[in-house]
Amino acid sequence: MSTTETKQAIRQDGKVVKDTLLDIRNLKTYYPVKGGFLKRTVGHVKAVDNISFEIKKGETLGLVGESGCGKSTTGRTILRLLKPTEGQIIFDGKDITNITGAELRKARRDFQMVFQDPYASLNPTQSVGSIISEPIRNFEKRNKEELKEEVLELLSRVGLPPEAYDKYGHEFSGGQRQRIGIARALALKPKLIIADEPVSALDVSVQSQVLNLLKELQGEFDLTYLFIAHDLSVVKHMSDRIGVMYLGNMVEIASNESLYAEPLHPYTQALISAIPEADPKKKKERIVLQGDVPSPQNPPTGCAFHTRCPMAKEECSKVKPVLKEVKPGHQVACILY
Amino acid sequence: MVNVTADSNKPQEKTVNMSPWAIARRKFFRNKLAMISSFFLLAIMIVSFLAPYITTQDISRVNIGQMSLEPGGEHILGTDKAGRDVFTRLLYGGRISLVVGISCTALVILFGTLVGSIAGYYGGNIDTMLMRFTDFVLTFPFLVFVIVLNTILFGIVDGLWVLIAAISLLSWGGVARIVRSKILAEKENEYILAAISIGCKPSAVIIKHLLPNVLSTIIVQATILFATLIVAESALGFLGIGVPQSIPSWGNMLTASQEADVLRNKPWIWMPPAIILTVTILSINFIGEGLKDALNPKSFR
Ligand SMILES: Nc1ncnc2c1ncn2[C@@H]1O[C@H](COP(=O)(O)OP(=O)(O)OP(=O)(O)O)[C@@H](O)[C@H]1O
Ligand SMILES: [Mg+2]
Repeated sequence: MSTTETKQAIRQDGKVVKDTLLDIRNLKTYYPVKGGFLKRTVGHVKAVDNISFEIKKGETLGLVGESGCGKSTTGRTILRLLKPTEGQIIFDGKDITNITGAELRKARRDFQMVFQDPYASLNPTQSVGSIISEPIRNFEKRNKEELKEEVLELLSRVGLPPEAYDKYGHEFSGGQRQRIGIARALALKPKLIIADEPVSALDVSVQSQVLNLLKELQGEFDLTYLFIAHDLSVVKHMSDRIGVMYLGNMVEIASNESLYAEPLHPYTQALISAIPEADPKKKKERIVLQGDVPSPQNPPTGCAFHTRCPMAKEECSKVKPVLKEVKPGHQVACILY
Repeated sequence: MVNVTADSNKPQEKTVNMSPWAIARRKFFRNKLAMISSFFLLAIMIVSFLAPYITTQDISRVNIGQMSLEPGGEHILGTDKAGRDVFTRLLYGGRISLVVGISCTALVILFGTLVGSIAGYYGGNIDTMLMRFTDFVLTFPFLVFVIVLNTILFGIVDGLWVLIAAISLLSWGGVARIVRSKILAEKENEYILAAISIGCKPSAVIIKHLLPNVLSTIIVQATILFATLIVAESALGFLGIGVPQSIPSWGNMLTASQEADVLRNKPWIWMPPAIILTVTILSINFIGEGLKDALNPKSFR
């Protein structure tokens, strides 16, 4: 951690030096594929295949990529909801890669998740009051009145009326359910929140309300976000830095401005060219990618993107490019740079 | 038109703040057939368990002077071949049949749910081992096991408990399988990940989050089992390997019909247990159907 941290600190000279909250190194998460009648492991879905990045305190890192590229798997592995196959997860200076049992449960109060599906992420048999108070009950002894007060406070903070306390999930709309999920994640006052496509299941009209809520809460509760989305325009609104994933690999990480002004990786360029332009005069050429995303069970050799890359060279199928810093704060994994 | 909308608004107002359980309960209470069946079953249970207060006849003493009396007079339903009052035996028999049915159902549900939920939640090797064991138990020959167990434990343990233990030990496999498959499907929901990430222990995830959401399946299974196990008890009694013959049970009472003379000429001896058994099973099945409708997962989402 020390080398990268000092590098960041020097580069940000003059600005407020922020510490690294989360440091991911060479993380891999493979799902075993069972086959045959003996249910043996016959292969692996390489959902996350060697990615490294870090998130500084108070920052929002956006994570984008097509469906199935391993964003959720990354988020869930970081929160140790899945077991990493390889690599290291350092959270707030502590290696949480291999902790288990009570130690892991204790560590969980500092990192929480907001889930993608507001309909599946609330237990249908639990009242809202019980859902939001449960994290607190798991960690602290409180009397009933204190607990209820705290939950009502959280409810009002996420913009829900106190009457919600006794209701059940099925009585709310998607946006309101997502607010309940946010209140649950917030209840323990965590340091890191991983938001896994928190608005992708919501109507466009409520998307921005929920995004704004997340932004407000970040300032108020000193939160650090890993914000996952499959849509660059949502991420742009939220993030300080953005990481672009393709087939289990991180292909580019840069600050928000830098990524939009000058996308380096051909995949990022294609993604950005696909964002509809608000100003019709600013015509730009849309890069349409050929072919389908290859199977993560059997990814292409060399650069995972070379099968669809408009700029692919012969080398690309042989050498796997690593993420390297080509401009201050702008990392890309491509042999062109 | 105005009236219609006003009416259709009313039930919706009522649903506010109702837990999925409250909604299910209301639905069940509206199901006439299920409610009638529930009252009937409740009545049978009360009458059976209050048997000593309802009739003072001796259930086991052979009474040579009063053999095979037709219904009427002192004996409402007549007497059997040993001169014992059929009505009295019917009440006491219900007690035994229901005790066997209820305790076996409880044990089977308990054990099946335990094995099924642990296997489903943990998966992997634990799942493989537990399910192998379940398959093994399911292929065990039931009758042989009961006979052997009865013989070994004869005289050591009360015959009734031997029977309950034997039935329970051999019948939980189906429940374990169903619970496991339900848990496997249910644990894919993000609220289970949420429960883990807010620091719930595995036991809390299973008990507080998974089981309440598969409880509807378990309840429906329990009613089916209850009916099946009462029939199983009667069948074993009929074959003479169930509850010891000295204790009346509906199954034991049916044994009398093995004699052609009783079957043809003395229907009052075997008809009452046969009828009450049939009606009880029917009402349990109606209750099961009602529960299945009421606990429709759609009302939970
Ligand atoms: N439990 C699992 N078992 C096997 N493979 C899985 C499992 N979960 C996900 N995968 C596979 O891993 C890959 C990455 O999945 P993941 O859910 O992380 O993608 P994602 O980027 O979050 O996609 P989306 O935008 O659809 O949510 C996909 O190919 C998916 O099919
Ligand atoms: Mg996802």
